Amino acid sequence: MELTHEMKDDVVHIGIKGKLDSRTAPSFEERLMQIIDQGHQKILIDFARLDYISSAGFRVLLFGARRLAESSGTIALFGLQPKIRNVFDIAGFSSIFSIFSSRDEAEKSLKA
Amino acid sequence: MATKTKSRSVTIKNDLGEIDRVLQVVETFGEQHRVSEDILYAITLSLDEILTNIISYGYSDSRAHEIVVDLSFDNGVFCTKVEDDARPFDPLQTKEASVDAPIEQRPIGGLGIHLARNMMDYMEYKHEAGKNILLLKKKF
Repeated sequence: MELTHEMKDDVVHIGIKGKLDSRTAPSFEERLMQIIDQGHQKILIDFARLDYISSAGFRVLLFGARRLAESSGTIALFGLQPKIRNVFDIAGFSSIFSIFSSRDEAEKSLKA
Repeated sequence: MATKTKSRSVTIKNDLGEIDRVLQVVETFGEQHRVSEDILYAITLSLDEILTNIISYGYSDSRAHEIVVDLSFDNGVFCTKVEDDARPFDPLQTKEASVDAPIEQRPIGGLGIHLARNMMDYMEYKHEAGKNILLLKKKF
């Protein structure tokens, strides 16, 4: 798994590439919590290059979203491959995360 | 061209770092048999969840244990058998995970088993001679 992150205006753009599983989830959790603890409230995650997610990845997303909700922050996701979207549906995570097809739409939702 | 074998077996130690080795064999084996990417995703994810669960919660000692994963093809069905000597655990008897609770109340335990159960077509569990034996099947 490879992670990138950059600030654009007040939005943190996170890019995640490869596999998010029980082996890689701890480093994603560390980075995400660090960003949230720095006080950022708008987080956008680019899933386009994510090929695989398991329950360990969902766990981190859920913890991140909960921590962020405490400071009224939001996470928006975009670019999910169809197979990843399917797992989100089965996990019941499509209803608790805002999922967009493009970066533009996701960005707009955070700025609204 | 490599010969197409109808079955493969992989033995790993109870270490999370070993899981990728099994998943790589599943992928290569599946590709040889022209299994689609979506079907392979369902199988690798289910196996990943089952193995992660066994390795993380199944053992009460700190010794090394072996987990055997057998893969085979039978009439358009991809069959997987996982055999381990962890404490008896029947994933079919676990409570159905709550996947529609709001974010604050969403439990995370049980999600891996929920994913495996819903992504595979068939699951069968038995406990024999001190071993958990789990069969997973997926049509392709």
